[in-house]
Amino acid sequence: MATRVITIIGFACVITALSGLEIAGRRRTNRVPTLGEWLGYLMRGRAGRAGVLLGWLWLGWHYFAR
Amino acid sequence: MAAEDISPTSGRLGRARPPLGLPGRRGRLAGTLVIGTGLAVYSWMAASTAPFTRSALVSVLLPGAVLAAIAIWRPPARICPPDELDVAGFSYWAISLAALFEWEASAFRDDSHTWHPSLTDLINPLITPHPLKSAAFLLWLLAGWALVRR
Repeated sequence: MATRVITIIGFACVITALSGLEIAGRRRTNRVPTLGEWLGYLMRGRAGRAGVLLGWLWLGWHYFAR
Repeated sequence: MAAEDISPTSGRLGRARPPLGLPGRRGRLAGTLVIGTGLAVYSWMAASTAPFTRSALVSVLLPGAVLAAIAIWRPPARICPPDELDVAGFSYWAISLAALFEWEASAFRDDSHTWHPSLTDLINPLITPHPLKSAAFLLWLLAGWALVRR
């Protein structure tokens, strides 16, 4: 069971880090972009826009359709 | 014409200030409420579909098609992206996301739901209750709209 706990702690650490980066980006006291900013940067071109929206669609299919 | 330019409350010349709660503002609020209610109802219905069924697939593909149509033919006012991205700042995101994918890939490779569950194995039980699945679906829809505005 220890392996399971370690796995969950690993996911929790990464998700906490991602949340911390979003908070840091919104504080504007550093150079870390917010999630919306770097996604917007990736979505400037048509290909990037299509790719990000397809990723969003895949996420919905993965969690809600299967 | 000149009488229209006199404010009825102050009697001074100039454009009359419209009263608070004007129809345009109310209309926008009503529109937001209608759309919000519609999205919530749709999320509730979509969350009630059984996985691996055609209705579940359609409930996901339909918002995708609607958002794609909006993005192509009636794009909303977009939030301007930054002109440039700080490489050092973005690298923190890249490292964290790489760690997430690596952790997920190792769980996938081990193929042991009990000992080394993937993120999906952990999230699926959390969104099994119907209200939570509906809320997650609504969140997904709102994320899609936020992406279209980017």
